[in-house]
Order: sequence, then structure tokens, then C-alpha cells
Amino acid sequence: MMRGGLAGRPRDHFDWPLFIAAALIAVLGVVNLYSATSVYIGTSRAALAEIYINQVYWLAIGGVAGAVVAAIDYRHIERFAYVIYTLGVFSLIVVAVLARDVRGAARWINIGSFSFQPSEFMKLCLVIAVAKYLHDDPRSEPRTLKDMAIPAVLVAVPAALVVRQPDLGTAIIMTLVFGAIVVLTRMRRSSVLIFVVSMAVILPVAWQYALPYQRARLTSFLNPTADLSGIGYHAHHARVAIGNGGLLGQGFTQGMQNQYRFLPDQYSDFPFPVFAEEWGFVGSMVLIGLYAFLVLWSVRIAARARDRFGAVLAVGCGAVIFWHAIFNLGMAAGVLPVVGITLPLFSYGGSSVTTVLLAVALLMNVSMRRNATFSPVERL
Amino acid sequence: MSVLQQRPDVSEFRRRFKWLALFQLLCFGVLVGRLFQLQLLQAEDYQAIARENIVRRVTLATTRGIIRDRFGRPLSASRPAYNLYVTPKRVTKVDKEGQPPVMTPVWARLVSYLNLGDEEVGRLQQKLVAIVAEGGKRKDQQILLKEDISFDDVAVLSTHAHELPGVDVVDVSVRFYPQKSVGAHALGYMREVDPEMLAEMRRQGYVEGDHVGASGIERSWESYLRGTRGWEKVIVDARGARRPMRPGIIDGPSRVDPIPGRDLRLSLDADVQAAIERAMRGELAGGAALVDVESGQILGLVSKPGYDPNQLSGGSGKGVVRDAFQRMFSDQLKPALDKTVSGAYPPGSTWKPFTALAALEKGLIDKNVRTVCRGYLTFGKRVFKCTQAHGSCDLHRAIAASCNVYFYQLVASYGVTMDMIAEVGGRYGFGRRTGIGINAEASGRMPTKAWMTLRNKGQFRQGYTVNAAIGQGATTVTVLQLALAYAALANGGTLYQPQIVQAVETAGGDVVQEFQPRVRRKTNLDPKFRTLVHQALLSGVTEIGGTAYQTWRQLGVDVAGKTGTAQVSHKATGSADLERVYYFNRDHAWFAGYAPTTKPEVAVVVLIEHGGGGSKHAAPVALNIVRAWEDLKRKRAGERPRELEVTP
Repeated sequence: MMRGGLAGRPRDHFDWPLFIAAALIAVLGVVNLYSATSVYIGTSRAALAEIYINQVYWLAIGGVAGAVVAAIDYRHIERFAYVIYTLGVFSLIVVAVLARDVRGAARWINIGSFSFQPSEFMKLCLVIAVAKYLHDDPRSEPRTLKDMAIPAVLVAVPAALVVRQPDLGTAIIMTLVFGAIVVLTRMRRSSVLIFVVSMAVILPVAWQYALPYQRARLTSFLNPTADLSGIGYHAHHARVAIGNGGLLGQGFTQGMQNQYRFLPDQYSDFPFPVFAEEWGFVGSMVLIGLYAFLVLWSVRIAARARDRFGAVLAVGCGAVIFWHAIFNLGMAAGVLPVVGITLPLFSYGGSSVTTVLLAVALLMNVSMRRNATFSPVERL
Repeated sequence: MSVLQQRPDVSEFRRRFKWLALFQLLCFGVLVGRLFQLQLLQAEDYQAIARENIVRRVTLATTRGIIRDRFGRPLSASRPAYNLYVTPKRVTKVDKEGQPPVMTPVWARLVSYLNLGDEEVGRLQQKLVAIVAEGGKRKDQQILLKEDISFDDVAVLSTHAHELPGVDVVDVSVRFYPQKSVGAHALGYMREVDPEMLAEMRRQGYVEGDHVGASGIERSWESYLRGTRGWEKVIVDARGARRPMRPGIIDGPSRVDPIPGRDLRLSLDADVQAAIERAMRGELAGGAALVDVESGQILGLVSKPGYDPNQLSGGSGKGVVRDAFQRMFSDQLKPALDKTVSGAYPPGSTWKPFTALAALEKGLIDKNVRTVCRGYLTFGKRVFKCTQAHGSCDLHRAIAASCNVYFYQLVASYGVTMDMIAEVGGRYGFGRRTGIGINAEASGRMPTKAWMTLRNKGQFRQGYTVNAAIGQGATTVTVLQLALAYAALANGGTLYQPQIVQAVETAGGDVVQEFQPRVRRKTNLDPKFRTLVHQALLSGVTEIGGTAYQTWRQLGVDVAGKTGTAQVSHKATGSADLERVYYFNRDHAWFAGYAPTTKPEVAVVVLIEHGGGGSKHAAPVALNIVRAWEDLKRKRAGERPRELEVTP
């Protein structure tokens, strides 16, 4: 099949379910952000009350960037995969060098009044690089641990840079996204066994080197009611907000926990408790349903991908969204420790929003250029 | 590229997509399960927590009862005071990382509005910077900057409140004694509860920062005066800011009103108190009491040196309290001691009427028995002195002119024993607490033969009784005991329990409880003997040769009484300060009596500590007190105050 022959096809293949799911989440996200920040003190709204407008701008910018990324055939991206990856790592190094302290962690690069967070984009660069490597390395035999050494290094370098910022959450996401990709590959059983055993040894050692605040978060997760005014404060009040929502919620902008300012970071790390308190169990199910749909749909896209690069890319992008959603919702609901991980399209932040939209765009890209001869539904 | 070429490539992944999808579904399933638990199963628990989060119970202050005198004039009340607080973090800023914080323009404005001195500003600034630099929680909490700022300052600060973020004025209630030091010992003062007291008192509802009566009536009647706090439930957000009430948040009552403390009406007369203070103003230390003889009600009770309970009660700030305490407890004249109730002194010659009663009641003497005084009496190996050679004395003259030898002879020749004196003393309330119920009351000492024997290694000497006959030796009494005993002499033999609180009233003025006079006992005073003693006491004041005659001649008041000069055991001789040695070795001066003479109404007792002779130092004070009391009585009866008349 000639490439020229595909010219008219992508538009026919426009992935409406993907687009609609992402758009719905984005709309709910902006609405929720409006509510989260419309905390009235006296008669005036809180200082952050206008950030939902900014979020709309970010969505627009990210949407335009996404449209461009979706329009370019991902095989061009494949060609420049390592260049993209190198740029990403380079920007992380720049951050490490500049190390402007923003809220205890140097994660941003400031260009004028505009600041962006390379570690967010790095997740996608990583997925692209690993996809490229696996694309170029097809195997019919099960792989050994040694075969996965190079992609592991590809992940380890940015993860190490991110941990040093320190941003443990993003490093965990990177590792888990890589994990999702590894699940796709066929590994030798003995290799899997060796890996599991070595992890059992390494993790306790890593615990010794974790920073005190990171340790404190984990221990407070294991014992959530020990220190409610200190380290357990976020988790406790997030849980109370969710529980306070009940079946139907308290109504738009009526969440007590949020309105009475018990939810810190209600626009960045904890937008879900605001949503859950206002819309209740029903609303939460709708939102979780949308995320689950998006994630499962990305697996479907991967399964129908034209080539190995597309498949790994789709799984990787889906995994980025999946792990973000699971970690954020999990920490809000108190089933995972509090690590600062954003909720895709719900948390406020330009880098985060743009990254998620680019991930959706890459999914769209793979989806639009799928091979029509396979019947994907049968395969899933 | 053809489709067929790609298939083997992708085939490595193909069977694994469904595992991936299954795992992801499982994760979402766990989340759904958790939300089901939180939002449906435990919803009520969390809804309750969310409601509790925003409800605060704030305590509503109560007002302490007012203490009034017998005519309703306030002696102890509460007034509003304003304390200035600042939040250190909000008046400082950190310019550069690692540098000490600097003050903001808010601070400069505050300083200029309050006209603080440079030194004070420097001190406060240092304190605030230190708190911020320390970095703990305190930098976000209100720090007490200045207590009891003036109304003018409050007005200025509230006018400019909008440009002074982080500066707060908090109103508190401070105990206020409008008569200052008048009656300070009887009223007492307030103190802030300390942590040790709190451990005990928390159960009764006291909290940090509360003030509690520390002495006098304020302490003894604390439970009546303090009142009960109320509370109210309000809606606050996470940062403690008040928010409007929401329906359905609070179950049950949302407010319990505070109950103000009970007011007390005392038997004290503020005018009498002031008069006693005036009469004693020339004296360094001592005590005086004026008691109603027909009820035991205390009209005036003054101890010197005094203190200003306003300073001790915290109105002008903790620094002032500390200084005042330091002054009070370093003063050798012991201003903290209530010398009318807590101090026991040898009664000296004021005791003579009771020795006389012991002899008369046993029939050992009659009014005609006479002894000859040569100025001393040799008894055993000791020589007992008299003030002068009185010559031939009967009982009347022995009391009026205060002849010691006559009383020595009662023991030496007429058989008056220690236990006889003690028996009479016991009937008149000596050696036991009067039960006034304020301050730490001394019981005094009424020695018996057995007691003296025990005290002196099993030896009893008749000399002890000789001394006891003139109110020396081991016998000690309090000013209040003596006043009540003289009141019993005056009223014909009824010993009353002293009464200082007349009634408990509500803040609205309704009487809750009124206290009736209480008789401690009848003293079995034979009217014949009463007349004898009365005439002798009258002569002691109004006849030439009477010990108080010289004073009476100048003041001319209608009073009967007895002076006393009590020797003190010599002490403080080692001190290098001769003036101090002289002072502390001087005798105590006493006067005890009652007025008017025909139908006594009040008993008066004055003690001047180390005042010297009773006739020269205590009698003028006592007679001035009685004179002031007479004037007040006339004034209240609508009569003109009499002119100063000088009897020739």
C-alpha cells in the first residue's frame, strides 16, 4: 500500500470515541476547577478564582499542539525518536542545573513569565524512545533481562534525574509506564523470576535512601489516622470530602470540605475530592468510567496498530494516562500513598494538560493510521 | 510495506493486550470498590466528620460578681481591658534567604500610632524577629504585645485596622478595685491560675489564662463570684475564620448562655474603711477592726502596710504584677499578711479585764480589794515591773491607770491560776479561730498550766501566771479576736461570730441568701462585774490618770477602752542597721474599747506594730476612728457634723 494512498484516509478514521472521551473529561475538569477555586471568603472569591480560565487557554494551546502532532504521521516521529528523547533528557539536565527552587522541588524551567515542567513531557519522550527501540528489535524468542537492558537504561536516566529534583511521583510513573510496555513483550520465565527476586532485595535498600518526607508519606499512608494535622492532613481531608459526597453529592460549588478550605491543593493534586464531594458516587462513577474507557480504548488502538512502534506508543500513552489516573484517584481515596501526581485534564497546570493532550494526540495518530485489514474487535 | 509483513512483528504483543486490559480494569475496579465503601457504606461517618470540621464551640465569657459594701458601693468590680496582639509572621518579612527577617511597614505604622518609646520598640522587635527566625508554630500565632492599652490607643487602632493586618486588639475583663488599697486585705486580689493549680482546677472548668481569687473574700467566695461560662457553636473554616451559619449542621442546642457570678454585699462600710486608713496613715504597720457589738458584723478591717490589688490582679500587665509581688514579699513589714486576722500578738494590758473577770468570778477579790504598787513586785527570784509607782490601787484604778502590780498580786496573793485565766479567755473566744472565713486565720494562743508545763520541759513556774495576768508571756491574740471579746464585754456577754459577707445577691440585685448574725456562745458575764469593768474602762479614757486620758482630752469622743503595750521578744539585734534594730525591738501598741459608752454599738481595736506605748500611739488612732464613726453616724442621721470641740 502506498503512502500516497493513505492521504485521504486519516480523516475517515478519525477516532471519535477517543476524542469525545478526552473532551468530556476536559470539560468536566474545567467545570470542577471553577468549583474548586470558587471558595467564598466574605463576598469575594479566593485569590486563585480565575485559574480555570487559564486552564481553558492551556487546553486550547494543548489542543492545537495535539492537532499538529496527530496530523503528522507517527512514522516521522519514529524517525526522530532518539532526537526527541535526547532533547527531553537535555531539558531535565537544564532543570537540574538551574535548580530554581519552587515549593521545595526544582521541576520548572522559567522562560519569562512562562514556566514549564520538562519532567511531564519527558514521559512521552520516554515512551517514544522505548517504542522506537522495541520497533527496531523484533524477537520471535522470549526475551531475557539482558535484552531489556537498553530500554531500561533509557528509562533509568530520566527517572534518576527526576528523582533528584526530587519528584518521586514522576519517577514512579515513568517506571510503571515502562512496566506496562514490558508486559507486552514476551519474557523468559526464568528472567521474570530473577527480576521479582532482585526487586525484593532492592526495594528495602532503596527505602533506606528515600528522603525523610517521602518516607513519612508512605508510613502515614500505612497508618492514616496517626497524625491528622500533620503529614496525614491531605489524605484525611480528601477522604472526608469523598465520603461526604455520599450517593448524589452536595451539588455544584456546594462541597463543604472545599468551601471551608479543608482541601489543600484542591486545584492541583486533589481535584477529585472536590468533584466527588459535589457529585457523589454517581459522579465519581461517570468520571472513573471515562478514564477507564480512555485507557481501555488506548489498548484497543494499540492492538489495531499498524506496526510495533504504533502499538508500543499507544500502550505507553495509555499507560501514562492510566497510571496518573490510578495514582491520583488512589491517593485521594486513601488506597495509595500521597505522591504529587496530577489527575489528567482535572489538575490545573499547563505542562500537565499539554502532556495529556499530546498523549491523546499520539493515540489519535496511531488510531487514524491503523491497518484496516485487521479486525480489532475480534482480537481484544 | 505490506500488511502481511507487519503481522509477525506485532504478534509478539498480540496475546498480551488482553492481560494488560484486564489488569487496568482490575485497578479501576479496586477504585470503584473503594469509592463504594467511602461514599455509600461509610458516607454517614464522613458526613459527620465534615460537619464537625466546621463547627467550633466557642466559650462565652461570664462576668465575675461585684463585691459591694453595706451601702451598695462597689469595692471590687470588673472592667473591660484591651490587650494588643500581633502575629509575628505578618509583621515581618524575609528579604533574602538566610538573612534574619525584617519588619514590614505595618509594624512601623503600629509603632507610630501607639507612640512607643525607642527602647520598647527595640525590645519588642527583637522578640518578634526571634520568634520568626525560630521558625516554629509560634510565628503564626498571636503574641501578646501589650496589655491593657488605653482607650485612646484602641480608638486609633480600630480606625486604622484595615492598614494593620496581623494586629489584633482583644478585649478581656480585668478585676478592678475602685477604692484602691482600701480594704485590700479583706477583699483580696486575683491571680492568673498557674499550671500546677490548673491540674487540680481543670475539673471545675478553669482554663489557662483564667484569673482566680488569691486571697481574702475573692478567694474564699470564689465559687460564688466566678460565675459559669457559656458556649456557642459557630461555623468556621479550616483556617479558623468565622462563616455564616448553615442550617442542618448543628444538632441539639447551639448556645448556652453564660451565668454571671453572684454579687456579694459585705458588712464593711467603705467610709469607715477610709476613716481607719486615714487614722492610721502616720503608722507603718498594724491592724484595726471596728465591729458591730450587737451582731458581730465587721464595719471596718484594715491591715497595714497595704497594697493596691489592682496591680496584683493583672490589669496593668504581667510586668506590673511581677514587680508588685516582688515589692510585697521583700518588704520586712509584710504587707501580704492580714494583720487583723492572720497575725497573733501578745495582748498586753488590754488583757487585764479578762484577768480581773477570772478573779471576780471565782470570788477571790471584790471591788474593794486594794494593793500597793511601788513600781515593781518581787516574786520568787524575779522582779516584775510596773509602768510607774501607782501607790494604793483598787480594781477600778488598776484597770484605768493600768497597774501591773495589782494583777501580779492577784496571782501571787489571791490565788488566781493560769487555768482560771485560760478558762475566761476561752469563753471570750481566745485561742480559737473566730471563723471569719477569709485569709489564713491565726488562732492565737490561750495557754493553760498543762500546756505551759509541756512547753517548758515539765516545769511550771508561778511566774508564767504572773506574766499571763497582764497579757504577756505565751498568750497571743488577733486583732479580730480582741475586738469580738470587747464587743462581748460591751453587749453584756454575747460572743458573736464575725461576719463580713452580709448577703449573696444576683447580678440583678435580688437577694439569694442573707446571713443572720451568729452567736458563738454566751460568756456568762455577771452584770455586776460588767459594770465594774465598764466603769474602769470608761475611767481609763475619760478620767485624769486614765491611760488614754491625754488623747481623749483632745478628741473628746464617747468611748471606753483599755490601752496596751505588749513587749516583743527581742530580735533582729544582730542587724547592722540600727534604725531597723530600734524599730523591731519597740513594743506593740494596743487600744481596745467600745463606743458609745451608754449603749455600746461598736467595738474598736487598734494594733500598731512596734508602735511603742499604747496610750501614746494606739489610743489616738482608735479615738480618731471612733470619732469618724460618730461623724458618719450623725451625717447619716441627717444631723450636722459637730464642730471640733476641745475639752479643757
